[in-house]
Amino acid sequence: MMEGVTQGQPQPPQLQQQPVPPQQPVVEALNPAVQQQLNLEHVKIRATSLFKAISRILEDFDAYARTNTTPKWQDILGQYSMVNLELFNIVEEITKVSKAFIVHPKNVNAENSTILPVMLSSKLLPEMETDDNSKKDQLLQGLQSLPVALQIEKLKTRINMVAAACESAEKVLSETRKAYGFGARQGPTITPTLDKAQAAKIQEQENLLRAAVNYGEGLRISGDQRQMALALPMHLADVLNVGPGMQNLVDTSGVYQKNTPIQTNTISAQNALLQATGAQLLARSAASPSAATSFDNTTASPLQYANSPRSGTNMNTPSPQQQSQQQQQQQQPQQQQQLLQPQQRAKMMPLSQHHPLLTQQQFRQSSMPGLGQTQLDDLTGQAQQKFQSLHGQSQLQQFSQALGNHQQFQGRQLASIGGQLGQGNLMSRHLGQFSGAANTALFNAAQTAQNTQMIPNMSATMPSQSLLPPRVQFGLSGTNPQRTHPSQLLNDQIFNMGGTNQTGMLPLQQQGGSQSAFGNMQQPNAQTFQANMVALQNNPQNHQTAFSQQRPQNQQ
Amino acid sequence: MECIVQGIIETQHVEALGILLQGLCGVQKEQLRIHELCLKSVPNLGSVSSEVKILCDLVPPETTWTVRHVGGSMRGAGADQISVLVRTMVESKASKNVLRFFYALGYKLDHELLRVGFAFHFHRGAQISVTVSSINKMLKLHATDDAVPVTPGMQLVEVTAPATSENYTEVVAAMSSFCEHLAPLLHLSKPGISTGVVPTAAAAAASLMSDGGGTTL
Repeated sequence: MMEGVTQGQPQPPQLQQQPVPPQQPVVEALNPAVQQQLNLEHVKIRATSLFKAISRILEDFDAYARTNTTPKWQDILGQYSMVNLELFNIVEEITKVSKAFIVHPKNVNAENSTILPVMLSSKLLPEMETDDNSKKDQLLQGLQSLPVALQIEKLKTRINMVAAACESAEKVLSETRKAYGFGARQGPTITPTLDKAQAAKIQEQENLLRAAVNYGEGLRISGDQRQMALALPMHLADVLNVGPGMQNLVDTSGVYQKNTPIQTNTISAQNALLQATGAQLLARSAASPSAATSFDNTTASPLQYANSPRSGTNMNTPSPQQQSQQQQQQQQPQQQQQLLQPQQRAKMMPLSQHHPLLTQQQFRQSSMPGLGQTQLDDLTGQAQQKFQSLHGQSQLQQFSQALGNHQQFQGRQLASIGGQLGQGNLMSRHLGQFSGAANTALFNAAQTAQNTQMIPNMSATMPSQSLLPPRVQFGLSGTNPQRTHPSQLLNDQIFNMGGTNQTGMLPLQQQGGSQSAFGNMQQPNAQTFQANMVALQNNPQNHQTAFSQQRPQNQQ
Repeated sequence: MECIVQGIIETQHVEALGILLQGLCGVQKEQLRIHELCLKSVPNLGSVSSEVKILCDLVPPETTWTVRHVGGSMRGAGADQISVLVRTMVESKASKNVLRFFYALGYKLDHELLRVGFAFHFHRGAQISVTVSSINKMLKLHATDDAVPVTPGMQLVEVTAPATSENYTEVVAAMSSFCEHLAPLLHLSKPGISTGVVPTAAAAAASLMSDGGGTTL
């Protein structure tokens, strides 16, 4: 309850009884009768005593809070009730006489508690007053000079205008709603209907579309029409290989066959076949895991892989395949081949182009003899079959390009050969990269050795063949990855050849002078081999003599 | 699991639908260009033949690959009452040799299609995705650049939301309420159930495309 006790300055109803001096502030006193009845002094005393009682209680509470003790609720409640009673009595007494001068709100609740002070006050709060004034000014701009009636008129017209605008807006909205049938409340008033033919057409289209999306109908291309587009879109180009040999990658609906006939002068064909056979070879070699693993115990040759961090070469040295690619304009990315070969050892053989004389580091005695027979024999047969058909004249021309390349000769190819000896298909490539008669010699030696080894039968390939397609995958298992040095690798091969079948060398001799020299070179040392190679290169005619000297040296 | 409804809309109204969706979803529309390859297993690979979809998203500079397997849908009386199809679905991103991998497993390409359109992904009770796309077929194998629409005058609208077996009812409810907002333009239904076009589609599209036509006050 709000106490509206004012301290004696309310408006007295009987104003005329007191003098009102104009200069002095009006002193208004209560009606004497009211005054007596009210007995202000008395009320004041009671109010102060009540105030003291309440403050005492509050102090007690404070003490309780500070000392953290629980108050004795009985006492406090008793005190509170006394205070309450006293207050009630005071208010009652005042209310009897307060009608004259007190406004006492009866019903204060949450709604009007904030506005009551404003209503009761005779003057607005300062800020509210300024607010009010500014709004009034805004409204009555230009009108304040006029008399009030005119001001009222003008304000009225303004209101009317605004109302009219709102009405027209409402009308337009409802009209457009009707026209478009979009109104939520009323629903579409215009429903255009489709004629039967149109509806049928639409239905048919819809069925087509749904069937296509959900079941794939209408999208299937029959087998004979499944010609792959010549240019695969970007996202598929590096995922799928384009090429006749890639039967595993493409839907084998019969379009792609294994071992499709080689297209002459297409590296891809060779590639494909090589890879295919390589895959087969790999599969075979995988069959004898124990043998395969023995290939791996190689010393750490830094030049094992062309671009691996372990290689001593620059990281970005293109592998032999890439370099030959530049010559051959091979388009297939290298990764394709790498991806093809399931075995992990499928890695590009390193270019020892920058390290032509790695021989010293990398020469190793072959560990292959133990390996060779069982594994290689199996593979050889297959290789022979495959490659004989493969290697035609086309390879000859290709290999001839490498003849003049001394570097290549020294650099990699023997390394590759040795590494890949287990894989017949690679031999041709490696050997092919050798230049000169030595090329021939090595090549043919490798070829003839395939009778017992995995070396492909290169007899069909002429010695002057240029580089194999650069994409040939070397990573077939069974190769000794350390055999990077040409002579070393070839030595391995020759070791194998010597170890397994001496007779295999014989055919070599029949193929030509240089070849025969090679054939004699059965188990040379690495260093000696290299010397031989150099000798081969420089003086093809002297092969025979040079090699023949070597023969007794490295019987193993 | 996913909840899915499909609908069709005439190509002429696709732009209007885009505007409506833009307003409803509050997110930017994203371009959609997906090459879908549907692979089927050969009969001797498993006890039943299975189907796997490889999706290649061609939009971002780096193509991303996704593997998707769609399983059977919920059946039963409860399922019939739901207006949305709830089915098992497993999806995963994959590296770019996923196609090669599946071919190596023995899957064969059954059919392929190219979806071109736009999509909205937003959250409204559930993570909802709306795609509006034209389904194109390729005349030559993998020739995505020469794809022609299967139905030139009609495009497919799909509303999907992932769900689990625990919360699928809420997801279904969220999707249904969202689909009601599209009622003026198209009807959505379970895949396989045809709906026809909505008669108010033309009017609704016109109103969405126009600039209101109201007079200025």
